[in-house]
Amino acid sequence: MNQMIPPPVPTTWTTATTEAVHTGSWRAALPRYVQAPSPCHLACPVNGDIATWIRLARERDFRGAWEALTRHNPFPAIAGRVCHHPCESACNRSGYDEALSICRLERFVGDHAIAQRWSFAAPPVERDASVAVVGGGPAGLSAAYQLRRLGYRVTLHEARDALGGLMRHGIPSYRLARDVLDAEIARVVALGVDVHLSARLDTPAAWAALRSAHDAVFVATGAQRQKRLPGLDYAQPWVVDGAAWLAAANAGAPPALGRRVVVIGGGSAALDVARSARRRGHAVTVLALETRAQMPAQREEVEEALEEGVALADGAMLVAAREGPGGLRLACVRVTFLPGGPGAPFVVNRVDGSDFELHADAVVTSIGQDPDLAALDAALPADGALLAVDAVQATGADGVWAGGDVASLARFVTDAIGQGKRAAQAIDRALRSRRGDAAARRDWAPGPAAATPRDAPVELASIATHWYPRQVRAHAPRLAAAARLAGGDEVQLPLDVAQALDEASRCFSCGTCIACDTCVVVCPDLAVRRTGDGYAVLGDYCKGCGLCVAECPTGSMDMVEEVR
Amino acid sequence: MTPLDVQREAMLCSGHAACPGCIDALTARHVLATMGPDTMAVIPPSCMAVIAGPQPMSSLRIPVYQPTLESSAAAASGLRRALNATGRRDTQVLVLAGDGGTYDIGFQCLSSAAERNEDMLYVCLDNEGYMNTGAQKSSSTPHYARTGSTPAGKTSRKKNLVEIMAAHGVPYVATASASHLPDLVRKVEKAKAIRGMRFMSVLIPCLDGWGLPDDAGLKAARYAVECGAFPLVEVEDGTRWTLNVDTRTRPVAEYLSLQARYRGLADDEVAALQAEVDAAWDQLLARSRARGGAGAGEPR
Amino acid sequence: MDAVADAVADAVAARTLLLTGNEAVAWGARLARPQVCPVYPITPQTPVLEKLTEFQAQGVLDAEIITPESEHSVMSACIPASLAGARVFTATASQGLLLMHELLHYASGARVPIVMANVNRTVASPWAFWPDHTDSLAQRDTGWVQLYVESAQEALDSVLQAFRVAEQALLPVLVSLDAFYVSHAMEPVDVPSQTEVDAYLPPFAPPRRLDTASASSWGNVVSQDMFYRHRVALQEAMDGVPALLAQADGEWQRRFGRGWGVVERYRCEDADAVVVTMGSMCGTARVAVDALREAGEAVGLVKLRLFRPLPAAALRAALAGIRDVVVLDRNHSPGAGGILHQELRAALYGAPEAPRVHGLLAGVGGVNVPPQRIAAFARECRGTTPRPESVWVR
Ligand SMILES: Cc1cc2nc3c(=O)[nH]c(=O)nc-3n(C[C@H](O)[C@H](O)[C@H](O)COP(=O)(O)OP(=O)(O)OC[C@H]3O[C@@H](n4cnc5c(N)ncnc54)[C@H](O)[C@@H]3O)c2cc1C
Ligand SMILES: Cc1ncc(C[n+]2csc(CCOP(=O)(O)OP(=O)(O)O)c2C)c(N)n1
Ligand code: SF4
Ligand code: SF4
Ligand code: SF4
Ligand SMILES: [Mg+2]
Repeated sequence: MNQMIPPPVPTTWTTATTEAVHTGSWRAALPRYVQAPSPCHLACPVNGDIATWIRLARERDFRGAWEALTRHNPFPAIAGRVCHHPCESACNRSGYDEALSICRLERFVGDHAIAQRWSFAAPPVERDASVAVVGGGPAGLSAAYQLRRLGYRVTLHEARDALGGLMRHGIPSYRLARDVLDAEIARVVALGVDVHLSARLDTPAAWAALRSAHDAVFVATGAQRQKRLPGLDYAQPWVVDGAAWLAAANAGAPPALGRRVVVIGGGSAALDVARSARRRGHAVTVLALETRAQMPAQREEVEEALEEGVALADGAMLVAAREGPGGLRLACVRVTFLPGGPGAPFVVNRVDGSDFELHADAVVTSIGQDPDLAALDAALPADGALLAVDAVQATGADGVWAGGDVASLARFVTDAIGQGKRAAQAIDRALRSRRGDAAARRDWAPGPAAATPRDAPVELASIATHWYPRQVRAHAPRLAAAARLAGGDEVQLPLDVAQALDEASRCFSCGTCIACDTCVVVCPDLAVRRTGDGYAVLGDYCKGCGLCVAECPTGSMDMVEEVR
Repeated sequence: MTPLDVQREAMLCSGHAACPGCIDALTARHVLATMGPDTMAVIPPSCMAVIAGPQPMSSLRIPVYQPTLESSAAAASGLRRALNATGRRDTQVLVLAGDGGTYDIGFQCLSSAAERNEDMLYVCLDNEGYMNTGAQKSSSTPHYARTGSTPAGKTSRKKNLVEIMAAHGVPYVATASASHLPDLVRKVEKAKAIRGMRFMSVLIPCLDGWGLPDDAGLKAARYAVECGAFPLVEVEDGTRWTLNVDTRTRPVAEYLSLQARYRGLADDEVAALQAEVDAAWDQLLARSRARGGAGAGEPR
Repeated sequence: MDAVADAVADAVAARTLLLTGNEAVAWGARLARPQVCPVYPITPQTPVLEKLTEFQAQGVLDAEIITPESEHSVMSACIPASLAGARVFTATASQGLLLMHELLHYASGARVPIVMANVNRTVASPWAFWPDHTDSLAQRDTGWVQLYVESAQEALDSVLQAFRVAEQALLPVLVSLDAFYVSHAMEPVDVPSQTEVDAYLPPFAPPRRLDTASASSWGNVVSQDMFYRHRVALQEAMDGVPALLAQADGEWQRRFGRGWGVVERYRCEDADAVVVTMGSMCGTARVAVDALREAGEAVGLVKLRLFRPLPAAALRAALAGIRDVVVLDRNHSPGAGGILHQELRAALYGAPEAPRVHGLLAGVGGVNVPPQRIAAFARECRGTTPRPESVWVR
């Protein structure tokens, strides 16, 4: 019965702090420190962890930015020139003032890396397994790069005598300077890719031999077969295949065309033909089914083409062509163009009484390409004109993956790069018998250990935008039209360092904590603490007010309801 | 964004009794951290006194004296002089009082302490009402705001205490807001380096009293500054005025619409408030320009 | 140089000066070496303020003098100054004391040993400036020790004794002197030397103070239980005051050859009637008692110097065996009568053979009560049965 009687609490003069009171019991929701994908990251075909590399660039850590970029894409200088940048359409900042100029920033970092002659680190481990890649375009090079970084032996077979695929024989040098293309490809090869040029694989035996010589094969042969316009006689000397002409032009020796050229097609390829022809002194008209706004070519490309004196006959189609005394007479008619959806073809309706005539010396068609499936291993299942693949680019045939134009209708360089990357990851998992998450959503640099990865993307509403002064995006200058036609130099000029830093500072870093301490600083209860490179919420004290969430400039905090 | 470089060693402890999201506590946190450990606080009855903790616990890591509601500045004077008399001249005396304890019941002794230029930093945590007693009006409550004692909206305007304090000719008078934290911290630092009476009024959106969600205190404070309803100013020696944020980026209506205390305000009342803010703003701008000071100081 | 020489001389010399009660209070305060003196003027206390500021200007009082806008702020400043470890003195009167009322409770709750002189003056309305104890007696529940003095000499001595008691008991002490009769009447006053006073009153060294080194706070909200215990402790401190005062006075007597007691019995030997009163009225009553004794009448005087805490045991002892007690109240509690009358009856209630207590409201509003009238009151009371209520006389 010898109970200890506690000393009485003093009636005045405090003797302790309120830290003994655990106010955490008041709350109904607890903030969570997360790492979440930005919308740009999800929209990016390579899932390029944009918030991370922009943050590094903003901090003038260009090397770090380049390393972050090249975890996903070995070609930032190329993508920074030719990517169709769906990331920018998805950018949260567009709901605030203007989308970030992500693509131009990427080019800035890529160019900087070339100027600095940075090269990729050798793989940390070398593996015995070997993988064959067929096709040296962006899809094949991307897969080869990722596989080499993982330590696999990689053999690359390319039919032509140079690597690059359509980046070289499709995209002209005024949009993608050849020294840039060469530098970025050379860097990949330097990682130790066993390249075989002029090595076209087109017999079943060759495919079989290849398959048995390697642990896995990645098919990235692109779409080589030109689509042709049914009403035109391609045997006529004045009817020309766009891709072939462009390939020759890019190589420096295009076949001769008459003075006046009509290019048929509304995509990037058609515009490249048109603009290349302008650079060779032709008078050029582009005839496209789509209206200018509907054309699949990028808005900027069309603008630039018009600046360069290309005439545009949009929303129109060729009805008949015949040779006349002064050259060709092309009977045309205005149309309305209704784009198709998945599985549904587009619809074209003639506008009655809108006939008109174009005069020309040559017609170049550039209306798309299909893969040449006949040259491929017949065992590979097809899906219409394409090779059939699943979400991780597996063909279903044992040990064979495919990607790029050969297996996809997303006919863009970065889509090809992304598919190459995903295929490489899948091959790696298969060769190491690992199970993996097919989703690429979480394919970003690992965040602070304390952060919980979250799949839901960061919405604009969760960014405390008031921290960012309103500022329009950086507008990169273009070479003057006359100079372009005269010299054939790159049209798009780079951002300078100040512009790049300025632009990078506009990024909301959606879902990527920037260690700004705002959450720590705004908590009335001192319930957010720094832990190493991240942050932790002290459950003992947090009252669940949500201020840290509301004030986070990057959307890296969210609230999770608690049930007690 | 530029990271907020305002982290100091904490002088306020977790576990205090402030409402979730309380800007009173947040403001006190930063004022205390900036003042540092060689400081004594005087905290009269108010929300802050509740936050200070129930006996035997204190949420402040510095000594606090809690005076009667009406006597903060006098008590701080006594404390100041006692520190002087016992060889502790460097110890700062900091008052953290509510607007009721400052504009109203404690105004007489505040005016006297200002007239004597007593050496203290007096911070009024201005939540525009008697919140500790359940949200009644004070002379700091703005025109048209509904409180427990003005259920149909206050019929008179907010007392201009900054002007009054400046008229005392004290070395430093300033307004601040936790929404503009670097500015607040800079002002506290500046005040700390001055001797004599330094007076600061900090706007404290009261979540309960103003009718705001728990996470909206800083937003309301920010809107108040951005619309000009609560201008950020400094007055040195009673004469040199500086308007620290000298552009208004939103109408008063946007600020009002955040708060339940202005619910049901008629359009002409909104317009009247806007006109009041405009007039006060023009006057401040003119004063600030008169000394070439508009926009001086870093707002954020 | 002269000021320094004077200061040195002050420190050593004991001397006799012609001083008013107010000046004696100021001298007592000066010798106590207070560190903070907030003060606000009011008739008839103003000369205390003026003397203090004069001492400070001369460099012989090293105190922070604060002159705020009101007595309310005076007391508001006193409390934290004392809590911070400074010795604090102030003085006031009448309306000023009433304005402090809220803070008087606050001070005792804070257990701060502030010493305050109060010059007793009528409480308005109507406006008046005459001696009357209602102002300080209205503060009897505020937790202040209350002393009432009869002369300038006692005022000086009491201020110093008050500091000793206050700092031992950790309670504030009010030293009250009557307006004009004491505050402005001049008399020769023995002023002890600073050295002697220093030996009597060591520097203030409270067990706790507001200090950044300990970061302990004062004044946070307490629970019911804590409040209860706080009041128990306050009562215990009050209960110890009569003994502390007796000791402080005894020590004073040993050092300076004069003492004032807690309850003084004047010519009470074999008395059958005794006059009980406080303050300057005691001086008048002494003359009346001397005259009655000369006339062979066994009448004495009991002077109550300590009113709070009421020294009930000492009063019972002082009045044991007396048949008639005549209380002279220079104060008025409307509806109740004389405050001392009530308090004394309560103190004597249940005492064996308790005296008959006659309550007289004499001198309310400062009206003159000459010795002859006091003698007459004593004679009349011996022949009449006391009334339950206080009786107006003049
Ligand atoms: C004119 C033009 C302009 C374009 N502009 C853009 C643009 O601005 N932005 C954009 O994002 N996209 C653009 N595209 C599309 C883009 O270039 C392609 O989508 C992309 O290059 C596809 O990459 P890939 O690796 O799948 O195929 P390819 O780039 O076509 O590469 C396939 C490679 O495989 C090789 N190959 C083929 N068959 C065999 C075989 N049997 N054995 C060995 N090797 C073989 C080919 O020689 C070629 O090098 C453009 C296309 C064209 C035609
Ligand atoms: C003399 C006195 N009157 C009334 C009160 C009751 N009281 C306590 S706090 C308070 C309101 C204080 O309002 P304010 O100073 O604005 O502080 P807030 O509670 O809003 O922080 C009142 C009226 C008191 N403590 N003392
Ligand atoms: S703001 Fe930055 S992180 Fe957010 S979507 Fe735009 S580019 Fe991506
Ligand atoms: S507020 Fe800043 S530090 Fe905190 S989670 Fe958001 S970005 Fe990271
Ligand atoms: S600000 Fe602090 S208390 Fe509020 S939710 Fe965040 S961690 Fe919790
Ligand atoms: Mg208030």
